[in-house]
Amino acid sequence: MIVTLHLIALALYGLATALVLAPFLGGRPAPRALTIALPCAGAAFHVIAIAQLTPIGLGPALSMLAFCLVLLQLVSERLLRGSAVSFFAGPLATGLVGLAILSGLTPGNQVGGSGTQSAWFILHVVLSALGLALMALAFIAAALYLLQFRELKSRRFGQVFQLFPPLERLDQLNRFALVAGFPALTIGVLLALGYGAQFSGGLHAAKAQIVWGLFTWVVLGWAVWVRVVRRWAGRRAALASIAGFGAVLLVYVALKLVQPGAGRFL
Amino acid sequence: MTGHTDMGIKVLGVNHRTAPLDVRERFTHGAHEVPGALARVMAAGATGGVLLSTCNRTEFYLVADDEPVLDAVWSLLGERLETKPPGGAREYGYIARDREAVRHLYRVSSGLDSMILGESQIQGQVREAWEASRAQAGPVLHRLFQTALHVGSRVRTETGLGMGTASAASAGVAVAGKIFGDLDGRSALILGAGDMAELAAQCLSDQGVQVTLVANRTQERARAIAERLGGTAVSLEEAWPHFATTDIALCSTAAPHAVVTWERVGAVISARRGRPLCILDLAVPRDVDPAIAQLENVFLYDVDDLQTVAAQATARRRDEVPAAEQIVEQETDLFWAWYGGLGVVPTIKEWRQQMETLRAAELERALRQLPHLSPDDRARLEQFSQALLNKFLHQPTVALKQAAEQGHGYGLLEALRRLFGLEPPA
Repeated sequence: MIVTLHLIALALYGLATALVLAPFLGGRPAPRALTIALPCAGAAFHVIAIAQLTPIGLGPALSMLAFCLVLLQLVSERLLRGSAVSFFAGPLATGLVGLAILSGLTPGNQVGGSGTQSAWFILHVVLSALGLALMALAFIAAALYLLQFRELKSRRFGQVFQLFPPLERLDQLNRFALVAGFPALTIGVLLALGYGAQFSGGLHAAKAQIVWGLFTWVVLGWAVWVRVVRRWAGRRAALASIAGFGAVLLVYVALKLVQPGAGRFL
Repeated sequence: MTGHTDMGIKVLGVNHRTAPLDVRERFTHGAHEVPGALARVMAAGATGGVLLSTCNRTEFYLVADDEPVLDAVWSLLGERLETKPPGGAREYGYIARDREAVRHLYRVSSGLDSMILGESQIQGQVREAWEASRAQAGPVLHRLFQTALHVGSRVRTETGLGMGTASAASAGVAVAGKIFGDLDGRSALILGAGDMAELAAQCLSDQGVQVTLVANRTQERARAIAERLGGTAVSLEEAWPHFATTDIALCSTAAPHAVVTWERVGAVISARRGRPLCILDLAVPRDVDPAIAQLENVFLYDVDDLQTVAAQATARRRDEVPAAEQIVEQETDLFWAWYGGLGVVPTIKEWRQQMETLRAAELERALRQLPHLSPDDRARLEQFSQALLNKFLHQPTVALKQAAEQGHGYGLLEALRRLFGLEPPA
C-alpha cells in the first residue's frame, strides 16, 4: 500500500515536472491550474503514504524530504506567482521519491527501537526534513537567481527571462528559506539530542549521522549569518547558498560511500 | 427608394495600413468634434452612427444607405486634407459592409487590427467612441459596440493575444520588472525631455515608479515633465550623483555622443554596494557608455535590446492570432443571427395586419354599394379579396424572410416601415 501510494505520487510529480519543463523543450506552457493541481494531488497521496511510514532509514527520510520540498514548492509558487521553483523542485522531488522507492520504504530490523514512534522522534525527523528542504529551496532560489542574473546581464531575453521570476523576488525567497530553515534544523538537532538523552540505547545514532547533522547545521548557520549579519545579498548571497548546499550534499555522498546501505539515513 | 435596399451596417475610414501618419493626423477627431461630424452624416440619411477616432484610425460606423451617406463622409474627411489627391479622402480609405463591417469592429476591439498586435488601449477607445456617440448610435450600433467590447474581453481572457509587452517603452518596464519585481515605490531618474523620454517615463509612472528627477539641457521642458510626473527638474551635471541612489535611470537625450560615461558615474555607481541599477538607454545615438554595463549589478539596455523584447512579445502574440480570429468569427455569427432576424417577424405581422384591416374596410365599403348581391356572391367576393391580398403579400414576405436569413433583413425592413408607415421596432 505504501509503495503503491508512493508510485502514484511519483507519477503525478513526474507528470507535473514534465509539464513545467515543456516550454524549455519547445512545448507550450501548460495551464497554471494544472501545474499546481498535479503536485497537489501527488502530495495528497504522498501524505497518506507518509502517515503509514516508520520514519527510519534512507527511503522514509528521502520520502519525507521530497514531501517537504513539494509543499515548499507549492507555497513558493503562490508567493512568486509562477512555476519557476518547479523547474528545480519538481525534478528533485520526483527523483527523491523515486530513490525512496528504490531504497525501500520499510525499515530494516537492525535499526529502530522503543522510541522511534514517539512524538519527539517524529518531530525531530519532520523538522530536520523541513530544515533540509528549506535549505534545498534556498539553493533552488539561488540557482534561479544566478540564471536570471546571467540572462539579464547578457541581454538574451530567452525562456529564462520569460519564465523565471524577478531577481529581487528570488533573492527574497533565498533569504526567507535560509532564515526559516535554520531554526527548523536547529530544533530538529536539539530534539535529536534530547531524544538521545531520554532514550539512551533506544536509538543507535551513527557517528556519520552526527557529523553530517552538525556539519549541515553549521553550514546553514553560516549562510544565515552572511545574509543577516553581514548583509550579503544578490549574486554573492546566491553563490554562498549554492556553495553551502553543494558542500552538504558532497559530505553526505562521501559519508554514504564510506557506509553504504539503505537501513539508515546515514 | 431603391437605395434603401442597401441600408445596412457599414464602416468607412482610414487606418495605419491605408494612410500615412500625416494624413491620419488630419482625419483625427477630438471628442468635441464628434457630435458635429456625426450630425452631418445623420443629416445625409444615416439612421445610426458611431465615430471611432484614435491616432491610428478614424472610422465611421454607420447604419445607412450607400448613397448619399458614404459620399457625405468622404466629403467630410476630404475637407480636412491639406493637399487633396484626385480621389479625395477615398484614396486613403476603405469600406466594409454588413458582416464584414461587424467582423472588422470585432477585430479592432480585440487588437487584431492594431499597429501593435494585441494592444489593449483600443478596447478603452472603442468604449469611449461608443459612449461619445450614444445619442446617434441607434439600436443596431448600440448592440454592435456592446458586443465588440465583449469580444475584446473574450479574446484577451481566452487567448494570449495581450501577453507580454510590444513597444520599446513598455519593454523597458518589463525588463525593470524582471530585476525589481514590483516596481511600485521604485525611483527613476530621467535624462532627456523629448517625446520618447516622456512616453517611457509615463509608462514607468503608470507602474507606480516615482520619477524623482528629470534632467535636461533645457530646463523649461524638463520642468514641464517633472511637474506632470511629480519630480524635480535639474541640469544634467546635477544628475550624476543621483546614480548612487536611483533604481532606474532612463536616458533619452538628443546628445550626439554618450553623456553617461564611466568618468561621470563609474565611482558613483560603485558606491551602491551591489544594489541593482537598471539603465534604459532609449537614445539613438546611445547616451550611455557600454563599459558601464561591466559594473556588477548594473543592467544596461539600449533600444535594440528593448526592441528585441518587444519583437519576441509580438511573435508570441502572433501565435495566438488563429485562436483570436476564431472567437471573432463565432461572435460575428452570433451578431449576424441577431441582426438578421431583427424585427422581421413582428414587422411582417404588423404589416399583414395593416393590409388585412385595409382589405376588410374596402370590402365592406364595396359591399355597401352592392346591396343586391346574394350571400353566396358576397362570400365569393370576400374570398376573392382575401386571395388577392395573399397573392400580393406572398412574394414580399418570402423575400423579407430570405433576406433576414442571409443577414440583409434590416435594410428591407426599414424600407417596408417607411413605405407603409409602420411603427419602428421597440
